[in-house]
Amino acid sequence: MKEKTQVADIDRSLYDFRYDEDESSFLDCGITPEIIREISAEKGDPEWMTEFRLHSLEIYNRLKMPDWGPDISGLNIDNIVAYIRPKKGMQSDWNEVPDDIKETFEKLGIPQAERESLAGVGAQYDSELVYHNVRKEVAESGVVYTDLESAMHDERYAGMIKSHFMKLVPPTDHKFAALHGAVWSGGSFVYVPSGVKLEIPLQSYFRLNAKGAGQFEHTLIIVEDNAYLHFIEGCSAPKYYEASLHAGCVELYVGNNSTLRYSTIENWSKNMYNLNTKRAVVGENGKVEWVSGSFGSHVSYLYPMSILNGRKARAEFTGITFAGEGQNLDTGAKIVHNAPETSSYMNTRSISKSGGISTFRSAVTINENAVGSKSAVSCESLMLDSISRSDTIPSMVVKTDKADVGHEARIGRISDEAVFYLMSRGLDENAAKALIVSGFADNVSKELPLEYAVEMNNLINLEMKGSIG
Amino acid sequence: MTKLNILPLPTFARLGVNCAEREVGAFEREEITVPEGAEQQIIKFVSPCSETIVTVGKNAALKLVMIFADKQRCAARLITTLDDSARLDLIQLYLGGDTVSEIVTELKGCKSAFTAEIGYDLGAGDVLDINLVANHYGRKSTSEIAVNGVLRDNAQKTFKGTIDFRNGSAGAKGSEKEDVILMNEEVVNKTVPVILCDEEDVEGSHGATIGRIDEQHIYYMQSRGIPEEKIYELITRARLLKIIGKIGDEQTEKRIHNTLGWEVQY
Repeated sequence: MKEKTQVADIDRSLYDFRYDEDESSFLDCGITPEIIREISAEKGDPEWMTEFRLHSLEIYNRLKMPDWGPDISGLNIDNIVAYIRPKKGMQSDWNEVPDDIKETFEKLGIPQAERESLAGVGAQYDSELVYHNVRKEVAESGVVYTDLESAMHDERYAGMIKSHFMKLVPPTDHKFAALHGAVWSGGSFVYVPSGVKLEIPLQSYFRLNAKGAGQFEHTLIIVEDNAYLHFIEGCSAPKYYEASLHAGCVELYVGNNSTLRYSTIENWSKNMYNLNTKRAVVGENGKVEWVSGSFGSHVSYLYPMSILNGRKARAEFTGITFAGEGQNLDTGAKIVHNAPETSSYMNTRSISKSGGISTFRSAVTINENAVGSKSAVSCESLMLDSISRSDTIPSMVVKTDKADVGHEARIGRISDEAVFYLMSRGLDENAAKALIVSGFADNVSKELPLEYAVEMNNLINLEMKGSIG
Repeated sequence: MTKLNILPLPTFARLGVNCAEREVGAFEREEITVPEGAEQQIIKFVSPCSETIVTVGKNAALKLVMIFADKQRCAARLITTLDDSARLDLIQLYLGGDTVSEIVTELKGCKSAFTAEIGYDLGAGDVLDINLVANHYGRKSTSEIAVNGVLRDNAQKTFKGTIDFRNGSAGAKGSEKEDVILMNEEVVNKTVPVILCDEEDVEGSHGATIGRIDEQHIYYMQSRGIPEEKIYELITRARLLKIIGKIGDEQTEKRIHNTLGWEVQY
């Protein structure tokens, strides 16, 4: 009988520890005007934000659930706790962070990463930021990296927040954008002034510890002209049997001649509904680079969108999705070419095993004014067994003749010829197959900072016994 | 309004590709059965509201040519079931009008095979919505879909091509490719090449190129003294001729050339 190579499930032991929560810090479940007002009061929102939240709630109640994509009928919003009061306010001194929270992030390696390779770190635990710090030299360059609530109350940034907050992703965009507008809490505000090129990355890490809760952080990044920023986002949660919800929102404004790289390693637990919305608008000759690894969640809807509004603006999306048992991960990207000579490139890999479902879904739109634009999409999917599923649903809408759009996709299993070739070079069959699977994810791992590439390889965690082929 | 051409797995609603909506009357139904071991060729000029149900028996083959030459409103549906080692070679040409066309091929049999060569030449006011679905059930079944077309003036076209590998279709292969030439700034092209996969041991691929004629081709032909407007005409005509030439019936080819207003020496 043919021996099979085992590609193991993602090793989640690193993420599955948890601490008991004091449930008196939870607001009631469900989304009502009273709860929205309570959240707003807890956070000391300015009046316009309270109004915005209540207006978003009206939109949320009006909009229907999406009628495409994975089934989310297991998610009952009435059972989700939208806000958890923090034990202590946000700290900039690590020693001041409560012990259990500190221990959580130390296990995840956040302080160590900050010391070694980051220009600044933000750490969110449940609904609020618990720690935020930025290197002195970075702050002196004029870069602002803080939590959104503090920025909203700081007269230097309040106007900027009001004029940018949920302008790219309006609450009318979809039901969960409206929900986010109503209950958002936490997240980061980053401002990079003109001409500042931040060589080392900033990172925010989001941890949802509480059972049956939602996390609704908002990340707002404004990169002015001729600037550079690499922002890293990490997400994890311990596993519970109750459904949890992540409906965050990311809005990125990339100025003329600027580049913003946004890297995400998402490893939510398998009870999580990850209904996140990310969107960037890019100015003339600017560039947005998305690097995205989706490993966790029970269900994901995740399609970072790039709107290329300036002449010669560019977008790149590099992504990998690994769907294992009990997971239905619907991921991809959307790109809108809205100015002449814009260009985009999408390169994705999907792996399905042990009954997991991965779907690549994309939309490239070339509008009438995007003359001379180019777009290329490449997606590959690997099925590791016959109980899994892998779908690709790309779409291209072209409204001008002066554009070039290319698309290619492949789906299949590990090629016998490739295994034979590697075996002829001295590898045994299992090693050859494991090497091919590992190489399949290479397009993403080489785009990540080294420590994250190592983490990703650990997540894929290939073992040498059992079942490909 | 009736919803037609429903995408097997819907996608972002705002793209407007999940279905086509038209007012349609009753479909004129025709059934074609190709018995076991037989080989047939059928050429149809498709009437405005027609449904064609085809069954191809074991080891049988059908070459089906469908011409959509009536520049009127048209809704058509072709549903084919293929038995073991059965084969359908489909050629379709769309020459204008407002057309909604659905092609569903059920590759039920082991080693059943489906090829589709689809061409279109659309101009002012023309609208075309094609929804092609190849459902692979049979082991080692194959599908090969090639779509080539030209959009002029303010023509609008949507091509949705789905290859669906059902569980149990081990050894199946499917490929689809669409090449679209856009000739005017007012055209709207939508391409949705879908692969659904519920079986490990399959190979599926799709590709699409959408845009203008390659500048190198234009440069080469200009260097041979051919004016630019003639080059566009030659290249687009060559694309359709490649498909027309496979029909293998001179009368039909002449009729198509007349519809397209081409002067061809026979």
